Amino acid sequence: MTQDNTWRRTVNERAAAVTITVDGRPLRARAGETVATAMLAHGAAFDRDRTGARRAPLCNMGTCFECAATVDGRPLTRTCLVPAREDMAVQTQGRL
Amino acid sequence: MFDLAIIGAGPAGMAAALTAADHGLRVVVIDEQGRAGGQIFRRPPETFTGSEFRPTAGYEWATALIRRFEADTRVVGRFGWSAIGILHEDAEPDTLCVAVNHPTRGTGMITARRLLIATGAYDLPVAFPGWTLPGVMAAGGVQTLVKAQKVAPAGEVVLAGAHPLLLLVADLLVGNGVPVREVAFAQSIPAPAEMLRALNAVPGHLRMLAETGTVLTRLLRRGVRVSPRTVVTAAHGTEHVSRVTLTRVDRRWQAKGAPRDVAASHLVVGYGFVASTELARQAGCELTFDSPRGGWVVAHDERLRTSVPGVSVAGEPAGVAGADASRAEGALAALALAADLGRPVPAAAFTEAERAVARAARFSTVVQRVFEPDREALGRLATQETTICRCEMVSRGNVDDFLASAPFVTDVNAVKLSCRTGMGPCQGRYCENTVAGVLAAARDQPIGLGGRFSAHLPVKPVPVGDLGALDTPLPEPGATPRDIN
Ligand SMILES: Cc1cc2nc3c(=O)[nH]c(=O)nc-3n(C[C@H](O)[C@H](O)[C@H](O)COP(=O)(O)OP(=O)(O)OC[C@H]3O[C@@H](n4cnc5c(N)ncnc54)[C@H](O)[C@@H]3O)c2cc1C
Ligand code: FES
Repeated sequence: MTQDNTWRRTVNERAAAVTITVDGRPLRARAGETVATAMLAHGAAFDRDRTGARRAPLCNMGTCFECAATVDGRPLTRTCLVPAREDMAVQTQGRL
Repeated sequence: MFDLAIIGAGPAGMAAALTAADHGLRVVVIDEQGRAGGQIFRRPPETFTGSEFRPTAGYEWATALIRRFEADTRVVGRFGWSAIGILHEDAEPDTLCVAVNHPTRGTGMITARRLLIATGAYDLPVAFPGWTLPGVMAAGGVQTLVKAQKVAPAGEVVLAGAHPLLLLVADLLVGNGVPVREVAFAQSIPAPAEMLRALNAVPGHLRMLAETGTVLTRLLRRGVRVSPRTVVTAAHGTEHVSRVTLTRVDRRWQAKGAPRDVAASHLVVGYGFVASTELARQAGCELTFDSPRGGWVVAHDERLRTSVPGVSVAGEPAGVAGADASRAEGALAALALAADLGRPVPAAAFTEAERAVARAARFSTVVQRVFEPDREALGRLATQETTICRCEMVSRGNVDDFLASAPFVTDVNAVKLSCRTGMGPCQGRYCENTVAGVLAAARDQPIGLGGRFSAHLPVKPVPVGDLGALDTPLPEPGATPRDIN
């Protein structure tokens, strides 16, 4: 799931750590950080398209749906809009 | 029932809400972001410590506006809720229903007598080979990640575009220690400089552009390569961007000279903005095509009323013109709505609000003229293999083949129905402009003539199960009106 980190956190003064799972694997996030941010900071993969090619967030403002995943069972959730919360479960095969 | 429902808590929505409340209206503001401010004033989450809000240079009024808005207990806030559609209540002609959806709470309905659409804008999507690769991101997307989420790209970054926002983002990246390899600007660089001279004629409105001049100098001093008359023609990589191709262009953004490759792990694209009009489309508002003002924009009268009774518009969906204009339009729209609902509004208040709108427009017209994206040229960047509809995986070749087989088709909606472009989750936001460009080129007609995609409820897709609850009214808050998601 992870690759070399492509994003890094720039400040340490964040909130309490929370653990979410992405496709079953634990991932450390900070409360208030969006799920998309936590995933980017860990180099976690978002969905793949029909051809198997990787996709990743494009807009970070809720319009492109490239960050969408199934979050706590709800498909089509835009992870760039949702703050990470303890025990949140993200499944990336949930764009459609 | 509310007197006024406002969708969007950017400068337009916040100004409108406060003005409307001042005139005695019961107001609800719906925004899918977690906090007020809109795209330009996106702030770090409340839970982050040590990262307080600093308003964008030139917008000193922002802090006060946001504070006043957040402290105002007369205004009900629905943050974290997306407006997904607007329904008319046939039985009650003076009632509009806004369908809203929340990522954990599902769907509900908010009713109001009037509606203000203040949904802002988003980065203009441009399809070129490789634009779907991870590592390619919109300028506003990168800006909000760095500014409000406090993360930055690791590795070397190339920026390409034609809008002054691109220079602000480059500066923000450099300031966060990100190695910026190159900024490719489709116009010639004297253009921003000329623009600054023009702006001196408009005192008090230097704002973003004054900032751009300083930023450009700073970038050059720090050794960042800023390339004029250069566009990005491809991004390469297998799982992630590793290299981008930049090509010199002439005045009309036509390639000239050999392309060159630059190693980069991130490509930031910023050619301008598209007015966010899908809710207005779905509500049945008339639109007009105005390329320098963001493409399809919502038609309105001088007091921001749309063609649909009870529905007004303010800010970018009425024409992309910057935060000053958005704020001014929000206030004017709210005055007009208050007057419509029988509240006394002194003529002087209208005069002042109209003046503010006119002042902001003088400035933005200059910006729009200098930085209008060349849509025809951008449309040509997609090759036959390029995916132009990211959601439904439709290539330029698919659309070209269809257009060749159906010579009578001159309308983007016909392309949508046959090729499925615009039928996925983004509902055409990321392919409409490219499809319009491809169609215009094939038929040798101006882009606006091909029309626009229609929009349907839900304008932002939700789990199918949620739609059953569409007619459930959302409980209106009583004692504690603030409802931060
Ligand atoms: C990502 C981004 C970054 C920008 N950065 C700058 C900058 O640095 N400097 C600058 O001068 N200009 C910037 N702009 C331009 C900016 O859009 C305007 O200057 C200004 O923010 C416009 O104000 P507004 O109130 O019209 O819209 P916005 O500020 O965009 O506010 C619209 C609000 O509506 C909400 N919304 C939209 N659709 C829905 C829906 N269906 N349901 C619920 N809520 C919805 C959005 O979440 C948003 O908060 C940026 C634009 C974008 C898109
Ligand atoms: S990144 Fe575009 S919707 Fe989340």
